[in-house]
Amino acid sequence: MDKFIVNIIHRPEMAPEYAEKVTGNGKKEDIGRKSLLDESLDIFKIQQEIAHKNGLKTTIQMTYASLFCEEVVELAKQDHEMYGDEIALSLLGLPCKEFREKYKTKEFCIWMFSLEDKKAIVDDVFGKFRNIFGCYPESTGSYYLDAELINYIKKTYPCVKCAVATCWEEGPKAYHTCNNSWYTFMDGGPWAPWIPSKANTHAPAADEAEDSGIVAIPHLSRDLIASYDGNGSNFGTHPQNILRGMIYDTDTWEFPYLYNLIDQYRDLEKYNNGYAYNMVFVGPGWMNKMGRWEAPYELLKKSYEDGLAYYGNLKKEGLLEDMTMAEFADHYRQKKTYQEPECALWRDILYGSEKQLFWYCDPYMRACVNMDQGGAIVDLRNYAAKLKWPVGIGTKHITDASYPFLIQEKYRAGYFTHYAGEGTIRSAKVAYQGEEADLCQCRTKAHFTQDGKNRILTLDPVEIEFSALKFKVQSIVSFEEGSSEIRIRRVLSNFSDPAARVSWKEYMVATYGTTEYPEDMTGITLGCDGRESEELLQYQYQCRIREMAGAEKVWAVIPQIDTKVSIETDNKRAQGYIQEGYAFSPMFTLGYSIELGDKEEFSTCLRLEKEN
Amino acid sequence: MSQAGKGKLNYRCPSCFMRDLDIDMFYDKEKKEYYCIRCQYTGTEQDVLEKNEIARFRYKAMQIRYTKFDFDEPD
Repeated sequence: MDKFIVNIIHRPEMAPEYAEKVTGNGKKEDIGRKSLLDESLDIFKIQQEIAHKNGLKTTIQMTYASLFCEEVVELAKQDHEMYGDEIALSLLGLPCKEFREKYKTKEFCIWMFSLEDKKAIVDDVFGKFRNIFGCYPESTGSYYLDAELINYIKKTYPCVKCAVATCWEEGPKAYHTCNNSWYTFMDGGPWAPWIPSKANTHAPAADEAEDSGIVAIPHLSRDLIASYDGNGSNFGTHPQNILRGMIYDTDTWEFPYLYNLIDQYRDLEKYNNGYAYNMVFVGPGWMNKMGRWEAPYELLKKSYEDGLAYYGNLKKEGLLEDMTMAEFADHYRQKKTYQEPECALWRDILYGSEKQLFWYCDPYMRACVNMDQGGAIVDLRNYAAKLKWPVGIGTKHITDASYPFLIQEKYRAGYFTHYAGEGTIRSAKVAYQGEEADLCQCRTKAHFTQDGKNRILTLDPVEIEFSALKFKVQSIVSFEEGSSEIRIRRVLSNFSDPAARVSWKEYMVATYGTTEYPEDMTGITLGCDGRESEELLQYQYQCRIREMAGAEKVWAVIPQIDTKVSIETDNKRAQGYIQEGYAFSPMFTLGYSIELGDKEEFSTCLRLEKEN
Repeated sequence: MSQAGKGKLNYRCPSCFMRDLDIDMFYDKEKKEYYCIRCQYTGTEQDVLEKNEIARFRYKAMQIRYTKFDFDEPD
């Protein structure tokens, strides 16, 4: 087993985004206000002191503004010498008097500038860094870095090896939480470090040819259940995020949830060949003297002290290794292969339920299996498509950097819908004598095993009970490294009537999109392939269905996202079907139906491909 | 009434927080109450604090310290 690794990152942001913009504070915006600069610098110093006091090294991500501040520069040099901190360069923290005068904009998100401006700003900032420190940085980052920008940085500054490149699941949920004022969307990426492909930051590289040349780390390590459902900025390894979520005792100021979150990340080494990782990145605005949200400064500071003390104690116990970003990039490249997936069997540690999800990410897909819904796949992204998706001014996606989904149970209903229509999900239904049940109605638990290149989830059997029949179903979900496939095997047993036969349907309801709102489905083709024939449906919202006995494959091509998705089986008794949706339910369904009896099983394979 | 400003802390609307919305409230000095500019919530500081406790109703495991994160049988 390897040690648990943590990256602790501080940025001397001279005009922290939250400290300046405080509703109703009665002061006119003045980004160069001396009191703001002094306070921000003090906070940075305190953060550094807390880390060092706990024996932890940091990565200091210099901001554009801080490059104009001699005191910060000297402090960074001192801490580099004394504690081994890495001096890196952040593309966050652009706002300052100098930047605004030069670029004539209040824009601060590097990924949303035009490509021309991105390059100019990067050259400006990297040049300044070199003038001050005598070399270019090895690490950089922002909340998001688009592929075009990463490619430019790597080509122009080849020494860069590590970057903060996304915030996990910060899309429409973060937008809503910020009263629809957080105009940047980046759902659909990895939750743990990865090597971005040259085509799309969120999609990991499959080989050297696709390798963008950097190791990417997520901005914070987030709760893989709570952040998927709610505001991710309440549930991450950012102690003040826990306060934002009000997940602390108001009398004692204790917050065991943060330690549970860290420990659950440590536990993920079981699923990742002994490797586990955390990232902490707290901007100075979160520890400002005015307090943040309901929390007074004293609580903000305490939360950071306690959080880093927890990591520091793990280090003292020999259970943690602190690394700088550049050190981590080297470690990651040594430890991981391109094809090795990232896996996380994750339980609820906040609501007190036993809800359990399994997240899988490799260069071909990101998928989420929900054990509270019988092992249904509730989120699916086709990384095999390596979708070209430029973002920023001058592109089709100025603010939307999210990697599109095929299935997203929160944005597209999942199993439960109101009144009519269907939500996106990959599950199974069973019917007997006029009654029907869906595995989504069955709560269960999964157990993880690894067999060579296969990651296998074996679910506890669930019971289906009809008026005249009871039986059990066990699901086994397998992900084969490098295959771009998810295999699902259902095993039926313990029939109360051994002669009974049930109607079984394996199905996937899917669509495409990045937000909660539907896209135009026109142009999608559905197909059903037999040995000697083919059925096709061009999507026209007509609610049509086509069936084919003995179909070898049912599939859909979604040209809007360069995707082909298919389900196949080698069971010749199964009947394939494809179904178009309608305007009120803009989905499509791929499936197989078959009759099954006691001690029988049925296997299908879902495959993702690039199609263009 | 003159324009409203912040209170001593940056209280969010507890009603909006419960629907995953972070909205800073304003403070009405004359009525001595916080009010939300998005929904209809108003309340004294005491009421805000009480409602914030209610907002924690969903965090049933907030005080629990977990030591096991899977549902496998012990070895």
